[in-house]
This record gives sequence, C-alpha cells and structure tokens, in this order.
Amino acid sequence: MASVSVIGLGMIPFGKYPERALVDMASEAAYLALKDAGIKPAQVDICFFANAFAGRLFGDITIGQNVFWEVGINRVPVINVENACTSGSTAFYLAFNSIAAGQAEIALVVGAEKLYVPELGLLDSGQTEWETQLGQVVSTMFAMRAMRHMIEFNTTVEQLAQVAVKNRRHGQMNPYAQFRTPITVEEVLASPVIVEPFTRLQCCPNADGAAAVLLCSPKLAKRLGRAVNVETAILCSGNYDSPQDLTCWETDYRAAKLAYERAGLGPEDLDLVECHDAFTIAEILHYEALGLCPIGEGGKLVEENETSLGGRIPVNVSGGLLSRGHPLGATGVAQVVEIGTQLRNEAGSRQVNGAKVGLAQCMGGDKAADTKSCTMIILSI
Amino acid sequence: MDLEKIADIPPAVPGIFTLPPYDKTPPALLGGFCQICNKYYFPKPRYCRVCLGKVDETVLNSEGTVYSYTVIRKKPPLGLPAPYSVGYIDLSESGLRIFCLLDPMAVNQIQVGTAVRLAVGLLGHDGHGAPRLRPYFTPVKLG
Repeated sequence: MASVSVIGLGMIPFGKYPERALVDMASEAAYLALKDAGIKPAQVDICFFANAFAGRLFGDITIGQNVFWEVGINRVPVINVENACTSGSTAFYLAFNSIAAGQAEIALVVGAEKLYVPELGLLDSGQTEWETQLGQVVSTMFAMRAMRHMIEFNTTVEQLAQVAVKNRRHGQMNPYAQFRTPITVEEVLASPVIVEPFTRLQCCPNADGAAAVLLCSPKLAKRLGRAVNVETAILCSGNYDSPQDLTCWETDYRAAKLAYERAGLGPEDLDLVECHDAFTIAEILHYEALGLCPIGEGGKLVEENETSLGGRIPVNVSGGLLSRGHPLGATGVAQVVEIGTQLRNEAGSRQVNGAKVGLAQCMGGDKAADTKSCTMIILSI
Repeated sequence: MDLEKIADIPPAVPGIFTLPPYDKTPPALLGGFCQICNKYYFPKPRYCRVCLGKVDETVLNSEGTVYSYTVIRKKPPLGLPAPYSVGYIDLSESGLRIFCLLDPMAVNQIQVGTAVRLAVGLLGHDGHGAPRLRPYFTPVKLG
C-alpha cells in the first residue's frame, strides 16, 4: 500500500498575467487545492513553495509564507524550494517524504512563476557560471543533444517537429494550456530558427502560472475518499564528469530505474506519462530513458503515433510544456495535477481511457552536459 | 584579431585560458590535473573530485574535434555576434569533452567531426558593455 496520497488538485490556466502578482496567482492555486480536498487551512501541517526566478527577476525571496498566509495557513513549517525546472516536483518530493516519515499528516505544495517580463531573453543557468559567460543558454544544451541524436540515430527534423504537433493537438483539449491552436509539421519547420535545429515552435514558450497539490497520509485519504496514491517520488542530481554522452542524460535513466524499482512497476505498467518537453528533442530522449522504446528509437515512437492520445502510451496529453508554457516553479506541480486529474477520470476530452498508473518526469538545470536535477513521480488509483 | 590591441582587455572568465601575448605559445585552455588519480579537469577545480587531493594547473592541449554544436539565431547575450555558435569539443590528449564558443566567422564551416584549435579574441562584452576576451575554437583548415 502506498504511504502517501494526493487528495487535492488546484491550478490556474497558464498564460500571460501582467496584472497579477506571483503571490496572487499562487494563492489561488492553493485555494483551489484546499477546496478540491475539502481541507481547512488549520488542518495543514507543512507547506512547500516552489519558484525559480522571482529572486532574480523581481528581487522577491522567501515567498511561500506570503502565499500560504493568503489562504490562512500560518505557524506551520514553510519551506521555499528552488531547483530550476524541477522546483515544483522537488517540493512535491519533500512533501512526499515528510508524510512518508510521519512528520506531517497533510502537506500543501504550491509552485508558481511569472516569466512574462519585458526583455527576458534566453534563459541561462546563472551569470557567474563560466559556460554562461561563453555563450551557453539553456536552449543550446538541448540543441546540441538534438544534433548528436540526429547523427547517431538518424532522428529527423520531421520527427522532432512531430513532438510539437502532437503536444499541440493534445493541448487544444486542455483549457489550462496557453496555446491551443493545432499546428502542422510544415508550420513547425517554417517557424523562425531559434537555435539550430530548433525552430520557435519546438521551444516551450514562457508562461505565468501556478499549480498546487495537497498530499496526506493514506489513513486520512481513506476517510476523505477520492484519493490518488503516490507510488513513489524520486529526486536525483547529475554526474558532471567528462566526457558526457549528449544523446542521453544518464541521470534520466538512473532516476527512471530507481522509480520503477521503488514502485515495483515497469514501463509496461504505465497508462500515461507527463514529461519535461522543454524542447522537442527532450521528449524523445525521455521516451528512451523511461523505457517506452529502445534507445535511439524515440523519433520513430512519436512518428508512429504511439505516444498520442489513443496510442500505446500517451505522453503529455496535457499538451506538455510546449502547449502549456513553462513557468518553471509551477511546471512540476502542474504535471502532477494532470496525472491526478487523469487518474480521477476528470480530464474531459483528453481523458486517457481507464488510466490507472501515470508517471510525471521532470528535469531542471544544466551543468557540464548533464542535468542538475531529475524527478520521477508515479501515481496510481 | 590584432594581438597588440587585445593584450589589455580582460578575460570574460579568468583562469580558464592563457592570456596574450601569444607570440611564443599559441592560446590554450587552462585545466587541472591530479597526479595521483591521473585525471584531467576543465576548468581546474579546487580539489580532485576523486581523492580530494591537490590539483595542478595544466595547459591543456587545445586541439580537438567537434562532438556537437549549434548556431544561436536569436538575439545573442553578452554582446556576442549574431549568429554565434557553440559546441562540445573532444580535446586531444586529455580526453576531456568541453563546452566552448566556436568561431563566429566560421559558422558555416563547422560540423560534427570538424578538426578545430583554440583561438582567443575580443568577443562580446561583460554584460555592461565593457569588451572582454573569450576563447573559441576555429577550424584548423579555414575554407
């Protein structure tokens, strides 16, 4: 029996909110999760708030206490979490552990980010890092992976584009996604080149957004009904030795293996996956790391529609980061909200029929050709 | 690049490449080497990550081949040229695979497998407009 349950989901549609403050968006997501679960503020034992860039963009730090007080939560431990794109899923990991350890009965996780600011430009890992000073931006690392994967495995630009097409097709069924207009392979390839081989429609857009999840002990969940089980939550960091193989993230494989072992499950048990499709190549590499297809065949998997809604293993039925946008701190929590919604059979036209087990994979930050963090969360019903 | 002019310009990142003048020795990357573990590093870390022992500064053989690369066509950061190119280079001798800028004048001549060597030049600024020296790899055979 799983040691932790998810009892509340909350999320605001991702998009542009120039008039809304970060705390305002985040507290709405928290409110929605509390209402969804029927939990009062005084019942929450511990809170985690995830955000990556507000310190740099707005000079705001230690934001969680502001968010949780807006929904009446006070006095309890509040932990502010930053782990790049996995900030949200890292917060979930910490909440999972606090309940599994018996330190808390109810934990609230909120992830939020505001990235629509003027002149944001290309995101980097930090101005003091030597790679940043030599022109490295986040997108270049994914681009060099794509270049290498295309050479070693004959992955094509059309296959890359098909990831974007599929996720937009899914995204049009998700009212929480920012971009919901279908696109074609031709349109993807004809959009302006950002970093070769990626055109604009192969790079996840920025977004403002917030998402929240309420976790609790299974004993309490049973009393409340309608709970989703957390089979496992894994957090790994990378290995930064040289040379690194750019056709994969070793950390992605390691985290997936650990998650399957802990959950006693394998790729064949999954009904759906949400993964970190920050750029089209990433989704293809995650297929391979998660064992959804043999190494090198990720391009073929999307080409053959295996990862589409209705296919063998639907991936990013939410539309993924490519449709939803990527408000860093919110993304990892939004993935869990999507899987939870699917397992509760509440996903409407994008519902994966009979979904019982779902995996959320997220990855954050670059360092020396590996990732800084990778999370795997497996939910079941 | 006029070497006399660049001699007074500070490096974008100190301690990772040799500074001008280059009349006696060509520009090279500065890395680390642990004699106990026989292990190369770039950049030089404070401690050997295997034995936590002392790491000696070493001038790395700065020739190699392009392992992967990309060309950035969006507005560049740090005053770098548009477009500019970056890559991962497999260095000869040390076996390191390292990230670096590629020659912006040779964007169309660089592919996976291209033989390259290090150059240093005035490339971009410090984020506030002050010029900076940066290392970049350029094709051994310029076409």
